Amino acid sequence: MDGLFEFFFKYRQIIFEQGEFAFAAPTSVRTWLGIAAVVAASAVATYTIARGRSTILDRGIMAGLRVALVGVLAFCLMQPTLTLSTVVPQQNFVGVLLDDSRSMLLQDENGVPRNQFIADAFTPEQSELLTELSERFVLRFFRFSDVARRMDGLGEMTFDGTHSNLANALDAAREELSGVPLSGLVMVTDGADTGERPLTEAIVPLQAAGVPVFTVGVGEESIAPDIELGRVELPRTALAGSTLMVDVVVTQDGFRAGTTVPVIVEDDTRILVEESIELGPDMEPVVTRIAFELPDAGPKRVRFRIPGQQGERVERNNARDAWIDVRGEREKILYFEGEPRWEVKFMRRAVVDDENLQLVLLQRTAENKFLRLEVSDSTELEFGFPATREELYRYRALVLGSVEASFFTHDQIQMIADFVSERGGGVLFLGGQSAFAEGGWGGTAVEELMPVILGTPDGGEDGFFAEVDVRPTPAGLAHPAVQLDVESAEVADRWDALPPLTVVNPLLEVRPGATALLMGTRSTGGEQAVLAFQRYGRGMAIAFTPQDSWLWQMHSDVPLEDQAHETFWKQMLRWVVDGVPDAVAAATDQEQVEPGELVRVTASIADSTFIEVNDASVSATVVSPSGLEETVLLEWTVEEDGEYAGEFRPTEMGDYEITINADRDGASLGSDVAHVHTAPSDREFFGAARRTQVLQRIADDTGGRFYTAENVSTLPEDITVTGAGVTLAEEHDLWDMPALFLLMLLLMGAEWGYRRIRGLV
Amino acid sequence: MRRLFAGSFLGLGAIALVAFARPGGDAPEGPYVMGIGAELMTQQAPQQVPGQEPLIDRGMFDDPRGPQLDYEEVQRTAGRFPFYWTRAIYSGGGFGRRGGGGGSWAVDFPKSDQQFLIVIKRLMRLNAYDWENPVYLGDPVLRKFPLIYMLEVGRMYLSDEEVEGLRGYMDAGGFVIVDDFWGSDEWDVFEFNMRRVYPDKQFVDIPLDHPLYSAYYTIDHVEMTPAIGNTERRSECEWENCFTQVKGLYDEEGRLMMVVNFNTDLGDAWEWAEQPSYPLETSTYAFEIGTNMIVYAMSH
Repeated sequence: MDGLFEFFFKYRQIIFEQGEFAFAAPTSVRTWLGIAAVVAASAVATYTIARGRSTILDRGIMAGLRVALVGVLAFCLMQPTLTLSTVVPQQNFVGVLLDDSRSMLLQDENGVPRNQFIADAFTPEQSELLTELSERFVLRFFRFSDVARRMDGLGEMTFDGTHSNLANALDAAREELSGVPLSGLVMVTDGADTGERPLTEAIVPLQAAGVPVFTVGVGEESIAPDIELGRVELPRTALAGSTLMVDVVVTQDGFRAGTTVPVIVEDDTRILVEESIELGPDMEPVVTRIAFELPDAGPKRVRFRIPGQQGERVERNNARDAWIDVRGEREKILYFEGEPRWEVKFMRRAVVDDENLQLVLLQRTAENKFLRLEVSDSTELEFGFPATREELYRYRALVLGSVEASFFTHDQIQMIADFVSERGGGVLFLGGQSAFAEGGWGGTAVEELMPVILGTPDGGEDGFFAEVDVRPTPAGLAHPAVQLDVESAEVADRWDALPPLTVVNPLLEVRPGATALLMGTRSTGGEQAVLAFQRYGRGMAIAFTPQDSWLWQMHSDVPLEDQAHETFWKQMLRWVVDGVPDAVAAATDQEQVEPGELVRVTASIADSTFIEVNDASVSATVVSPSGLEETVLLEWTVEEDGEYAGEFRPTEMGDYEITINADRDGASLGSDVAHVHTAPSDREFFGAARRTQVLQRIADDTGGRFYTAENVSTLPEDITVTGAGVTLAEEHDLWDMPALFLLMLLLMGAEWGYRRIRGLV
Repeated sequence: MRRLFAGSFLGLGAIALVAFARPGGDAPEGPYVMGIGAELMTQQAPQQVPGQEPLIDRGMFDDPRGPQLDYEEVQRTAGRFPFYWTRAIYSGGGFGRRGGGGGSWAVDFPKSDQQFLIVIKRLMRLNAYDWENPVYLGDPVLRKFPLIYMLEVGRMYLSDEEVEGLRGYMDAGGFVIVDDFWGSDEWDVFEFNMRRVYPDKQFVDIPLDHPLYSAYYTIDHVEMTPAIGNTERRSECEWENCFTQVKGLYDEEGRLMMVVNFNTDLGDAWEWAEQPSYPLETSTYAFEIGTNMIVYAMSH
């Protein structure tokens, strides 16, 4: 196409795009236009006078053709030119960035690896492209994966980089060449950017410096057949024995849609679950939810993998690893109940054999008289409901039963709100005659927490009362808390089979932003929000509005062996403590690295009332797989209250354990553990097809162009006319373009032909 | 807790004191004084003379109790109250169901139930239906009431349907309080019936350090509560040298399912607490252990 354009218009399209159009004729354009107008007028007059057999239409067409011909001639006589600013040979620099990452070793369908292009195009004395570039520019070569490094020859390339960080590479090259006249950067890559920095951060400085980037894409845009396990999101922590529901995103190209493949979830010692999933259409990600249990406590590296399928071209993108800290502790939950109720007995009964839940009961049995069960010692809750934040924040979750708001002091109500928003705890509100609006909670600080909209309390003598048939919402069907004990496909039927419960709090709707997991149909008509939740600050609030879930255990319609009630409450109470933060929490920026890669360790530090601490002494003890210890001091980042950071470089293969210890004024604030796995990285093989759009965007945004191996030969000339640096103005004549000559012939031929057809010759 | 205990103690004393002052009362002088709240307590407790209809003069005070519904309505709307004091109807000891008429299940019915509810709602924070609630052991609706009270079980003869009903009830998590039977003969009858429910389970003494005795009041000894006609003699089985025992039946997980009050009559103590002739210390004990059993059952 470019060749055809150049044949007709004498120059390549880019010359027209870059150049400025002008007429180089010595007299003014107006004079020439005047002459042309006179000539044209006389031509028109000729046709007007010589009537002959011609009609008005004939004369009009012939006059028009003749005028157009005169116009083209006039245009040529005005000496049209394109003025370009072209770089001065050998006075400008061009940075050539060559992708040195592992994905460059991927083979195309014809068996040629991507890095073959680099060898072909940049080997001295063998490559025409390199020769042309060298003749016009002073070249500086860089190889890049995570960052760009200068190199003297292709021999330094290893194609072993674990990242392709395009933004870092562009930054490094721009900075390195900032002191020289730079015509542009040439970036040869597959575009599979695995860096986390937005490209814009690198593009804006290039735009400001006027440095165009010429991108050369290598590799195929589609690798088929291939299956890629794209994303797995595992919570950071979970209670031992909890059922996790993890979304796995699988994309395929080249296999038949609907093909079934297994997904295996395993830890270091065993397969946790194996599930079959159906592949979607080509390049359409399919999200599958996989449920599995982590029975044993301790840090676990969980691997999700799809075995390589027949004919698959890249198998190293079929697996993902993720760390999860499986907590073996007994999580303390405070259940405060305002009166003796059967929910207490049956909830305790449901979770009594759960070794990871400590349901501490505080039940008001008379005014200022409380029953305490499952307390850790005789002083716990000795004076009733906690009166200080320190006392309340020891718990990870709070269950509020049928207790009126007026029982609490103003401070205690605010403390409950802060327990969720600041401490990050979970709170579960149960239905009852003294709960929600009926308990006077409307207008309190706690009302905001509630994921349901409180109405006006029923003013009738008997109050509100209705039976509700409970059913899961679409969100509930996919939520682990309401899965009961059956396969996901049977969850809705399982709920249908349970007997109705009763409600005394008319709660029709969930709050905007909250999610309803269970809804109910009232016997009195209308809907009832049965189970809903919302995030609030750092924590979460849940409302379960029936007052007698124990019927799922006791009701005569429920078989004795049925475990619905037990399962429901175990899942609920595990959910309410799920993700509740500790005062000291450690994290790393990456869960898996290669030896030698930098690992950033961060810690968030708070005191026992969960107020961030900025003057703590924080250190990390890093233990390598062979047992070597290294201490890393963490400094307050200043950007965030209570956030500390430090770095280390693992050198061994295996699992590193990082223990964060924080203290202030000699008193310990707490500790936490994080893990990093060091192993050869497969990161480069995910999303490894050529990203044309990314490369096109870099070129477009900086004023460069995008090339493939097929059209890269024009690159040297393009840089010459579009590049920055030391330039000079160069004029290109346009009057002798073949297109103009052809146009004149066409116009003359057309007039002659018309005359012949009309018999006017 | 101490204050509540004292209040209830004094309140019960006041019931007795007022009763003594009634015309025809021949009780000896008691060492009782009116305590704080005793007057209200006195008003709330229905007054009754043995052998006569319950004497509730509604012109004298406002009955704080809510409306009484018919039994079917109570069971149909179960859940409107968090707690129902439910009496199990079973076969044996005569005929009749629901509302009296001969069966041994109906002994002391309904006054004992009503009076127990009135007093216990004063003693603790319990949002209970104010009236009696008899339910047949074989009726599936029984499962809507996780605590039942059974008495005079020494004359019971459970039908197969009742055996199934009681077993299912306890297996599902229901709690049973058994009361008012005396001597080895009646124990044998009760045990025979319970063997049909659970052939392999054994009754076990509930020791005084069991949480049952500290769930609300701290109880340090087991008291024999006599029937109203035996307040002098105390025991109905003294020829056997019998003594009061509190036994339990546990499930496989070690959870207490049934409390058996043997050689004692808590029901009469609740029913006749206002009677001058009924010993105050035993009626006090009866209310205390009754309260403890409810608090324990609703939390364990």
